[in-house]
Amino acid sequence: MKKMMKIKMAFVLTAMTAAIPLSVLAQSNSAEQIYNQSLAATCASCHGTGGVSVAGANMPKISDLTHDQIKKSLIEYKTGARQGTIMPQLAKGYTDEQINVIASVLGKKN
Amino acid sequence: MNRRLFMGQSAALIGAASAFPAFAAQASNLQKAKIIVVGAGYGGATAAKYLRTLSNNSADVTLIEPQGEFVSCPISNLVVGGSQQISALTTPYDGLVKKYGVKMVKDSVSKIDPVKKTVQLASGAVMPYDKLILSPGIGLMLDKVDGLAEANKAGITLQAWKAGPETVALHKQLAEMPDGGVFALSIPLAPYRCPPGPYERACQVANYMKKNKPKSKVVVFDANPGITSKGKLFQAVWDNEYAGLIEYRPNSNVIGVDAKTKTLKFELSDDFQAAVLNVLPPMRAGGLVVDTGLANANDRWAQVNFLNFESTVAKDIHILGDSIQVAPAMPKSGHMANQHGKVAAAAIICELSNYPVNPNPVVTNTCYSFVNDRDVVHVASVHQYDAVEKTFKTVPGSGGLSPEPNALEGVYAWGWAKNIWSDTVG
Repeated sequence: MKKMMKIKMAFVLTAMTAAIPLSVLAQSNSAEQIYNQSLAATCASCHGTGGVSVAGANMPKISDLTHDQIKKSLIEYKTGARQGTIMPQLAKGYTDEQINVIASVLGKKN
Repeated sequence: MNRRLFMGQSAALIGAASAFPAFAAQASNLQKAKIIVVGAGYGGATAAKYLRTLSNNSADVTLIEPQGEFVSCPISNLVVGGSQQISALTTPYDGLVKKYGVKMVKDSVSKIDPVKKTVQLASGAVMPYDKLILSPGIGLMLDKVDGLAEANKAGITLQAWKAGPETVALHKQLAEMPDGGVFALSIPLAPYRCPPGPYERACQVANYMKKNKPKSKVVVFDANPGITSKGKLFQAVWDNEYAGLIEYRPNSNVIGVDAKTKTLKFELSDDFQAAVLNVLPPMRAGGLVVDTGLANANDRWAQVNFLNFESTVAKDIHILGDSIQVAPAMPKSGHMANQHGKVAAAAIICELSNYPVNPNPVVTNTCYSFVNDRDVVHVASVHQYDAVEKTFKTVPGSGGLSPEPNALEGVYAWGWAKNIWSDTVG
């Protein structure tokens, strides 16, 4: 009986997962994730996809910075506390909330 | 395991499954949909890549492009001036295919049927789509300048505004020009692709002349009443670095070309003969957009909904980059097309997942112009979507220009180029 239960359990699980593509179980971004990733992707044009600057580009590698470091830099650029060429001009175009989202998406995870 | 536990677990699983149908259906829509992207430039290639990444590689994306490699228009003026080779601006499409799983078809689209939702390839094949993205760049209105189509076809009067063989050929004309010759560059009325581009080109040609043909000069015939972008910065460079090498004539609209005598004809002023004629004709949306009846702004550009870049006259056809009727202060640039691609990709993934599209998209622009082979000036801007006016608007107090040409931004310009090429084509 106990063995049979195990078989039934396995069947139920198999039947359910078979009806749902495996990739669905492993994926599907929420709407918020898509919004946030596309917002952070505005930075990728200069800083590389995901903030990973390509070798030899001489561009700060954002993905090596933490959330707090990115947020601090952008806020400082925005307020004028930090000098630069383009970043002070661009940072002023984002809300503080957007800066926080960008830092969350691009910042080092651990 | 006892029966109660088994039942309990089953109930929990069934409960979980009952939460799945909508979820599964959404994902299924996304996975079933055929998404076709036409044109693998800054807009289309970026859209194709981000359609894959934002869907966690589950969207079915086919990118149709006749060229075998991506050749960047930005930086191509350095090839005209001879300080760079075209190979330095060329990137293969391998990354899009191998790293991001985009299906590439090397062909061009000859016809679109928005009712049947199909595209017909030049090779004859017909492909159905659920979502279509068009990013064909600009169309050059050669017929607006008398004699230009023939002169261009004969390789005598080049545009080199679509980077590629003409870019290399134009440098060859410059290199073969006798010292003391005149290089005539004509600019159409705005809007046109890359507002500061012609003035950067004048700098690059003058930079070449300064080193190699000091008795020569560039004469810039601008149909506009003044320099359309980075005006004071360019004027200062011309006055200081290229004094006597660049002559600027505003309000000079070229209406004809005589290829045999290498003569430009104007609306108002006298004819002008030069050793090299580089004529930039008026521009409009790429031919495919026009031919499909999507150029509904002055019969030149395509109006789109800026939340998803969908055509205002054709459902499920999204248009990116230089072909669109831009928002106020939004330039027609490669960087901007790259940004359009990301907004459109996110919106399409949301639509196919039954999510609302992002109500607050943002795009940016950064444009570097080389005034010689080292120093650069930039213009930058941030554009937030305005729900009331349904357009992108620049954020007051943001954006701006370089104070003066500088070498540091020359380094940044190359960093930008390498990263955006990677961001666009893998």
